[in-house]
Amino acid sequence: MQHKDESLTDLGAIKIHKNAIASIAAIAAVEVEGVKRVGGNLQSSLLSAVGKKSYSAIRVEINKNSETEIEIPLIIKYGYNIPEIANKVQENVRQSVEKMTSLIVRDINIKVKAIEKE
Amino acid sequence: MRTLGILFYTAVLVLIGAALIVLSFCFSLSSLLPQCLFYINNALAYIQDNAHVRVILALSGSLLILVSISLAQLIMGRFQREKTIAFKTASGEVTIALSAVEDLIKRITALMPEVKELRPDVKANKRGITVELRVVLKSEANIPGLTERLEEMTKGKMQEVLGLEEKIFVNTHIVKIVSQDEKDKKQQQPAIPFSGYGRV
Repeated sequence: MQHKDESLTDLGAIKIHKNAIASIAAIAAVEVEGVKRVGGNLQSSLLSAVGKKSYSAIRVEINKNSETEIEIPLIIKYGYNIPEIANKVQENVRQSVEKMTSLIVRDINIKVKAIEKE
Repeated sequence: MRTLGILFYTAVLVLIGAALIVLSFCFSLSSLLPQCLFYINNALAYIQDNAHVRVILALSGSLLILVSISLAQLIMGRFQREKTIAFKTASGEVTIALSAVEDLIKRITALMPEVKELRPDVKANKRGITVELRVVLKSEANIPGLTERLEEMTKGKMQEVLGLEEKIFVNTHIVKIVSQDEKDKKQQQPAIPFSGYGRV
């Protein structure tokens, strides 16, 4: 994650690292009832084993027009309706990222990796 | 691409196998051994003397490694792409891994006492979603009734939880029926004679 979103003010530049956006997305995703955790692939499991936070599994892309695309791998709790949860996560993540960073969120792609019991 | 990859790896493995057979044949016949060693020695000396051959050899090795890595990546990527169900929403795309769907089916059927073991295999294609259930049943189960219930439960829960509109085909395959006696035998641990002696 090298790219940072940058905006200029009278006093200087404000840079938001992709990791910061990924953290916001991870927190917003886990807030939704029915989401067990973020992650689920081998890479994120290995990273979490060595102490990296769950947001490392989230992929953030920012294009030249400051439009953001976020990809979130999720583990959903058993018994919940997946499309409903995915919609809620997309809405919550969009609201949180736009509110905290003033970036335009173009796409939030959800990848349901597994279903686990509570 | 998958066929090309399989052909490539088959060709490499066949070449290695042939080389090993030739070598073992040479070493097994004592009359052929000096000749074989002479040819190997000559080939190695030729490589050692000729700088161009060494470069060609190194380049071929690197190319072989690159080709095999890219083929492996392509094949793996293709397999990974195929193993998901995706649908679009207003905010983006939602992808569900087929392994997650398999987890879900396992959990649904865990509630059925007649089912001892269940291995689901979910495949998605243009026709719809096909679920293959490989089931191990307990002997007291009524097979037609149970399979019907199993198929209905799987279909219903998948449509409810995944919100899928595609057709779902459920095929059940009963691989084994475990009798109650067999089960009881396994559960009963054989008593070890005089196991209680010697303990304080």
